[in-house]
Amino acid sequence: MQEITQTDQKQFSREELRERIAHWMGPERVPKKFSIITDTTDFYRVDYDDVVILGEIPYLIRNNEREGRFGIDDQQKYWVKRARDLSDGSVKIIKLVFHERFQSKVGGITFDCFRSPQKEARILDLTKGHPRFMQGFALKDSSNNVIRIIDYIRGKTLADAVLKYGQDHEDYFYNYFPSIFDEYMELVEAIRFLHEHDDKHGDIRRDHIIREEGTGNSRWIDFDFDYLHKENVFGYDLFGLGNILTYLTGRGDVTSQLLQQASSPLISHLTEHDMNIIFNNRVVNLKKVYPYVPAELNNILLHFSMAANVFYDNTGQLLNDLNEARVKLNKP
Amino acid sequence: MKGGYMDSKIANNRNILIAVDESENAKRAVLYVKDLLAGLSGFHITLITIIPEPPEDYFMSESEKTEWVKDNFVSARRIIEGYHKIFSEAGFREEDVKSHAVMKKCASIAECILNEKDNLACGTVVIGRRGISKKEEFIFGSTSSKILHTAKDCSIWVIE
Repeated sequence: MQEITQTDQKQFSREELRERIAHWMGPERVPKKFSIITDTTDFYRVDYDDVVILGEIPYLIRNNEREGRFGIDDQQKYWVKRARDLSDGSVKIIKLVFHERFQSKVGGITFDCFRSPQKEARILDLTKGHPRFMQGFALKDSSNNVIRIIDYIRGKTLADAVLKYGQDHEDYFYNYFPSIFDEYMELVEAIRFLHEHDDKHGDIRRDHIIREEGTGNSRWIDFDFDYLHKENVFGYDLFGLGNILTYLTGRGDVTSQLLQQASSPLISHLTEHDMNIIFNNRVVNLKKVYPYVPAELNNILLHFSMAANVFYDNTGQLLNDLNEARVKLNKP
Repeated sequence: MKGGYMDSKIANNRNILIAVDESENAKRAVLYVKDLLAGLSGFHITLITIIPEPPEDYFMSESEKTEWVKDNFVSARRIIEGYHKIFSEAGFREEDVKSHAVMKKCASIAECILNEKDNLACGTVVIGRRGISKKEEFIFGSTSSKILHTAKDCSIWVIE
């Protein structure tokens, strides 16, 4: 298990902190009153404009981060704070300790889930310098809480980015999708790297890939989520990878509702076997909707359909098939 | 077979490993073996229940882990003692029926069961099939399917 050492929290005077805030944020942003915090156990008390000192560095706390989930947008994550590093002015995401265990239901299947700061700390260490993962480090606060300090990634989710490509799906598929597919394969390679080190991402979904402005690198984010697996340790991660591939191939979710709304004649040709095995309203047999999708790619998608009898056990199997499909993605 | 029960590491088809948990299908597997072999001599039965140890990350403290381990062993022993009693009441000799609760870190429960099969020199493995949905098999995998596909040098009885 990774050892996270506890470093002494450096002492700063209020005057020194005010000077630093003025330097990095502007004199008008210096708060009149603020708390200096070294113990973050009660994360609800870590508030906007407070200064949290972790190790040698003071951080000025800004807003709580938000996350859309299960159709509910903008849920505040009180344990995840945006902050300014007052040693260099950079924007950080500070993840405080929030242990939770809960049961999550996806497509009628119940998962025993938990959140683990140690898991995220370990993966941050493992993936240091890896271009496909968010970057950061972990350290302990004065009460031994494992805090993760993460470089803020400026950019959109990959899922949002692809929606604006192409005049129509065919244009998207021939002119943009091949390079997106390459990007996706690198992301799958990154997950293979985790699996080979006996870790899972735990929460693979499309809004957990951020495409960084400037470099254009797509990176996996958020590794603190985990679930108790049963026979197949990586089954849920692979399911997430399948959903993302389906989304990228379709340039968004192709659902039975969307086809119905568009009065598409395709709706009468679809059967339950064409749909996602868990989310039964999402079409995975995309060749029926977009006939130019190569069979090699469509066959991968069908591994995630109601008709599937063979499932991927590991990312290596998926990557083999992706490599074969890649060859077929050139222009017609 | 020379020596006593399980003295040899050479798998013997008459050394039967029954993998059980609290489910009804495990009970069916136990009852099947009991009905099939009652009154026959020369068979040795090991009841085993695997307790998959959660990852270290799951626990917030060492004491919580200790408590979890204790509780799970108590439950597991209660399960296998109940099954053991079924064999005793059917007239199986005490020396022919053993039971173990094993806690292991399991990437796969099937692999853990098959490792125990090797350790105990069992030539036959009996499991109940849970009858899980396709969705569940897709996400979680199926222990009985994996055992069927990966087991070597043994017979597998899958009880529906």
